[in-house]
Amino acid sequence: MANTQNLELPGSLGRFPSVKTSLAIITGVMMLVDLYLIFMVAPTDSVLGHVQRVFYFHVPIAIMSFLAFFAVFIFSLMYLVKRTPRWDAIAHASAEVGVVFVTLALLTGIIWARPVWNTWWTWEPRLTTTMILWLIYVAYLMVRSYAPTQSKGAIYAAVVGIVGFIDVPIVYYSVVWWRSIHPSPVVGPFAQSDALDGTMYLILLYSFITFIFFFVYMVTERMELRSTEEALGRIRFTLRRRGR
Amino acid sequence: MLDFILLSSHLPSSNLPYLFAAFAVSWVVLFGYLFYVNRHQHEMKKEIARLQRVLDDDPSEE
Repeated sequence: MANTQNLELPGSLGRFPSVKTSLAIITGVMMLVDLYLIFMVAPTDSVLGHVQRVFYFHVPIAIMSFLAFFAVFIFSLMYLVKRTPRWDAIAHASAEVGVVFVTLALLTGIIWARPVWNTWWTWEPRLTTTMILWLIYVAYLMVRSYAPTQSKGAIYAAVVGIVGFIDVPIVYYSVVWWRSIHPSPVVGPFAQSDALDGTMYLILLYSFITFIFFFVYMVTERMELRSTEEALGRIRFTLRRRGR
Repeated sequence: MLDFILLSSHLPSSNLPYLFAAFAVSWVVLFGYLFYVNRHQHEMKKEIARLQRVLDDDPSEE
């Protein structure tokens, strides 16, 4: 009997489906509460109107993309040092989910910009550096896909993931370093203490925690997909070796 | 008249379609991604089960 039973990678949650299910339920409930807070509790901005509520999705999604790429940076470093496939699996999943988040940050920003700035897009520093960030991590995924072997792809992608992270602080500081129409940071070292009303700040914080759960859930789903891809690769290899 | 138009364009209700669009896009992208991952996962598990049966039926196996 061929040894194809061991389908799980060490980092997979496949052996603990209840953990993943619990995470999905918690994330779903938190998201429903988040929507209630955004639409029913958050005060309407006196200048921007209802469209300002996009802020409770746009900002946490943008911050989550930074954290995703920080995870790529850390786990890529660990992979290059130890060559443990699990670290590469986490970096890969974080990069892919990070690309989804940065895409959403760009899209929600574009939609928010139209009524507020009267334009869909402008090449101002924050938007331009974010677009570069998106391109860097799309390149990360492409390098991995087009590498001649999986192990080479993992090494090349790790290098891109480490070097590409340089753009994350540039995106954050872009509104401080250069004249920009984009608002100043509302969280982090350059945030103004009175930038937000208390209720708005608490809802933003809650929204951020919700997206942390969403991110972890998406990463576990992606890691499980990767473990299945590898199991399929192993079984195909066994069949090829037998000439089937 | 012009003043009225400018003021009404800043009423909170005037930018509701953008609010709807931003949240709709967010849900489509997030759930679209999760749907893609789950569908891919399901298809690969089916393929694994099929290939496993081929392996199990293989007379050349040890």
